[in-house]
Amino acid sequence: MAAPMELRCWGGDWGLPSLHPESLTVMAYAKFSGAPLTVNTINNFWRAPKGDVPVLVSEDIVISQPAKILNFLRKQKYNADYELSAKQGADTLAYIALLEEKLLPALLHTFWVEAENYCSVTKPWFASRVAFPLSVYLPGKMSREALNRILLTRGGPPLYSLTEVEAQIYRDAKECLNLLSKRLGTSQFFFGHTPTTLDAFVFGFLAPIYKVCFPRVQLQEHLKQLPNLCRFCDDILTCYFRLTVSGHSPAGQDTADANLQKLTQLVNKESNLIEKMDDNLRKSPQHPPRKLTTLKLAAGGEGGSPLNRLSP
Amino acid sequence: ATLCFQAFLQMCNLPIRVVCRANAEYMSPSGKLPFIHVGNQVVSELGPIVQFVKAKGHSLSDGLDEVQKAEMKAYMELVNNMLLTAELYLQWCDDVTVEEITHPRYGSPYPWPLNRILSYQKQWEVRRKMKAIGWAGKTLEQVLEDVDQCCQALSQRLGTQPYFFNKQPTELDALVFGHLFTILTTQLITDELSEKVKNYSNLTAFCRRIEQQYFEGHDKDSSTSGATRSAKRSLLR
Repeated sequence: MAAPMELRCWGGDWGLPSLHPESLTVMAYAKFSGAPLTVNTINNFWRAPKGDVPVLVSEDIVISQPAKILNFLRKQKYNADYELSAKQGADTLAYIALLEEKLLPALLHTFWVEAENYCSVTKPWFASRVAFPLSVYLPGKMSREALNRILLTRGGPPLYSLTEVEAQIYRDAKECLNLLSKRLGTSQFFFGHTPTTLDAFVFGFLAPIYKVCFPRVQLQEHLKQLPNLCRFCDDILTCYFRLTVSGHSPAGQDTADANLQKLTQLVNKESNLIEKMDDNLRKSPQHPPRKLTTLKLAAGGEGGSPLNRLSP
Repeated sequence: ATLCFQAFLQMCNLPIRVVCRANAEYMSPSGKLPFIHVGNQVVSELGPIVQFVKAKGHSLSDGLDEVQKAEMKAYMELVNNMLLTAELYLQWCDDVTVEEITHPRYGSPYPWPLNRILSYQKQWEVRRKMKAIGWAGKTLEQVLEDVDQCCQALSQRLGTQPYFFNKQPTELDALVFGHLFTILTTQLITDELSEKVKNYSNLTAFCRRIEQQYFEGHDKDSSTSGATRSAKRSLLR
């Protein structure tokens, strides 16, 4: 409690205190629980131990993963969850697992694997934050690690090519966003009126998607159609980070695409019903229900892969 | 994993016949076990099978509202994330277990040297995956702690209800049953993993209840379930 604590993490831009989801999660939790953290953004990467970021340093203790950092803060009596019931605590773990399994791959892909995004935004930004020659080596390494993680965890058969994996992870991410939106409903935070660990994690994952201006933004577009999640992020930014929320409508975004997406969602829902009726009528389905091939989109650059329904 | 399916299909009241094959992984369309063969269709993995069964008009989660469905999916991910990964870790990354149990078991259908080559290959694959998700640096104690945390969450969510969503079993119940039953009944070097689960009496009661209700009712099943259980181990990755 008395020992000063320092958090070393990636800095921010586009109205965010940090661009890195894990750093953002820890910062948000610290704000929610009132922990007095000194935040030092990285500008000389050699100092970070083992390259793990974010890192909490308190006297001679060094802790490096968000879950462990949060545990440490809780032990120091900075606990944002003490009002939660046991069941709510269990729900927190479950939703965090959902975020990591379903949303994180698409987030990593948007930042580090999608070529246009990586080359025009991510690489220059991260390279500008560290000293040469690390700036040449580090972004490439983070990109390779991200791709590795996506392929190893989501890339097995029957998905044989990267495009199929990509389509699947974005489908999953959009479904995850829908689920989060349903769970949040109209409340201010996930468990009532005070923010907790779950809010920190959700904020950490959603805010970069919401705010960073990428050329290829399918996930951001989807997120913007879920107004309660956008409001959630904006609220936390204004209340806890005292940053003005400059309404970033992505410059040059095609509104026709956004409308098309909305229509697709509606149509997909209807297709669910139609397919059910069809099955009953035909009594001998040809394929497991993944074939919404009637829904070929002309949405820019999707490669014509059908956006399958959002809820199974 | 096989048990999750059997439980799920039993809960839907769909009769199934379990068959064990050494080359099952290759017959499966996705390379993953188990898979079901219905008419002229082959479907593998829990997600697609649930969809398939749903398309045929059987679904366990229709009675849930949207928020509950979101919760169910979240808990299923928790189980996959923690329990499944912990099981894989224990099978393939804990040296003692690997040497004494996993290698012989995995390679048993094949002659030497194929058995060693295949199991080393599988081990290398699993270790790569663990490294990518950050579990490679974990010690066995940390993994067991994670399992404990997961069981605690499941136990708290279950509470005193018969199933996770009160009166009716859902896919989540089938999934949890499959994993917990496997952990409780598989013989390993140490009993630490099953001890962790046994700490939560409502979870063990849950497993017993599902076993009695869905697996012991049928004479045919109880004679094959013994064979299934031992043969199932050669299918478990």
